[in-house]
Amino acid sequence: MPNQNAQHTAGPPFLEVRDVVKKFGGLAANNGISMSLLSGEIRGLIGPNGSGKTTLINLITGMYEVTSGSIHFSGRRIDGLQPDMIASLGIMRTFQVARVFREMTVMENMLIPAFSQGQARREAKARAEELLEFALLTRLKDKPAKSLSGGQNMLLQIVRGFMHKDLQLYVMDEPFAGVHPSIKGIILEAIRRMNAQKGVTFLVVSHEMPTISNLCRKVTVLSRGERIAEGTLDEVASDPQVIDAYLGG
Amino acid sequence: MGLTAAVAVAVGLPAVLSDYWVYVLTIAFFYAAMAASWNLLAGYTGQFSLGHHTFAMISAYVSTLLMAKAGAGFGIGIAVAIFTAVVLSYALGVVCLKVHGLYLALITWAFAEVVRNYLRMHFSFTGGDRGLDSALLFGTLKPLPYYYLFLGITIFTLGVIAFIMYSRIGYYLRAIRDDAIAARSMGINIVRYKVLAFIIASALGGMAGAFYGHTIGLISPVMGDFNEMAMIIIFVVIGGMRTQIGPVVGAILIRIALELLREQSEIRIIILSALVIVVMRFFNGGLMEVFRRLPRWLHLKSAESVSAYEK
Repeated sequence: MPNQNAQHTAGPPFLEVRDVVKKFGGLAANNGISMSLLSGEIRGLIGPNGSGKTTLINLITGMYEVTSGSIHFSGRRIDGLQPDMIASLGIMRTFQVARVFREMTVMENMLIPAFSQGQARREAKARAEELLEFALLTRLKDKPAKSLSGGQNMLLQIVRGFMHKDLQLYVMDEPFAGVHPSIKGIILEAIRRMNAQKGVTFLVVSHEMPTISNLCRKVTVLSRGERIAEGTLDEVASDPQVIDAYLGG
Repeated sequence: MGLTAAVAVAVGLPAVLSDYWVYVLTIAFFYAAMAASWNLLAGYTGQFSLGHHTFAMISAYVSTLLMAKAGAGFGIGIAVAIFTAVVLSYALGVVCLKVHGLYLALITWAFAEVVRNYLRMHFSFTGGDRGLDSALLFGTLKPLPYYYLFLGITIFTLGVIAFIMYSRIGYYLRAIRDDAIAARSMGINIVRYKVLAFIIASALGGMAGAFYGHTIGLISPVMGDFNEMAMIIIFVVIGGMRTQIGPVVGAILIRIALELLREQSEIRIIILSALVIVVMRFFNGGLMEVFRRLPRWLHLKSAESVSAYEK
């Protein structure tokens, strides 16, 4: 499948993960991972189940504290910061199982990140209307999020992150898992648009290789808590370590 | 519109009621204010505190003691009482930061029991179980001025809560209640807003409590009984949790019902408990849900689907 994205990849390392270790008791979920993202990049993060992808995302977004190592964003060390502080630096995330504010309406969900970053109500609403229209969720904007389908909730979770007025890095955990192909198309289009128009950098965890291949110029592969390969999907797909990790040899 | 009409009725009501019923409604307004402020905490932010009534009791004691022992006036007494509720709720809020659900309920319940027993045991200072005489705010036992005072306090409490819930703080509180992890990842400092909600609710409860002491004229640790808290919860649940008016409707209607059933003595508690079971089983949105469904039952309005898929 041709690589259709026109992502910006210029500039110094934007996100730098240096030798990060995260231990849960005796288990090292991340064991000395290093990787760096350039500003404007769309990076895929792949690996078999249990390889430490979600743990790495939780470390970058401050949900977990690193056991050792460090994480730097735009030249600033961010490990040890609380998740809300990290969000205020322009890093948003999504969760594998969509986390929406169930009792709040779709529109109210959209306003949360805008409000928390100090955006004015009118401006935030206008932006939310625009994004909801793009995501084909306008009809549902006054419905509580709990009345949405799983795929619509995932979509809402994703477009909600775009409400951050100074979004710089968007970390997505399995955004395509279990969603209808039409919704997947909207998500892909949203990622490409935000990357091309606003220069937002993406780190996308996914098991869907055709989608990752289509979206990301470069992927990082984790296995058993370690980074085992990095490069284009074609390059890593022929890497014996990657084949070994995926086939469990 | 409906609210304005309700307030107009409430303002005019004493003209046609006996002093006895004016007094009943005055006390009902006190509970309405307490229920509304507890709803801010439990209903809107998901913090199920069992110590809300304690802040009313503390404030009542602080104001009464300041006047009796230090010669303070009403203004100073009540202001310091509310400030005490703010300081104590801040301290308790910080202690409770990392806990929620059952653990929060247990900590706040323990706090309530510690305070209540402290007041019972320090007889020489607090009057123990016998209680303390509290100076009457209007110098009279006639209920009319207190009725308007507590009508005002209830409206003020509802106004503060409406203002908060409409502001972005209200959005944050509801987001935290629905999903604290997602709220943090959206940039909300959940600690700050949870403590803020705790302080605001306690200050409102403290304000009602301080005035309550100077209305009934005698305060005692009975104000801190768990029964008091249970009643507040019942008012909110029956009226309608997470609705602004529900707790007020619940408090007023149930206080009136309890008064009408006074001669039935303990049976009224059984009736009330049965009512709670019925409401929880069939209308967990409380009376407000009943009101909302009423037009449909009466075929005044077609059923509205909440499906995301229907046009």
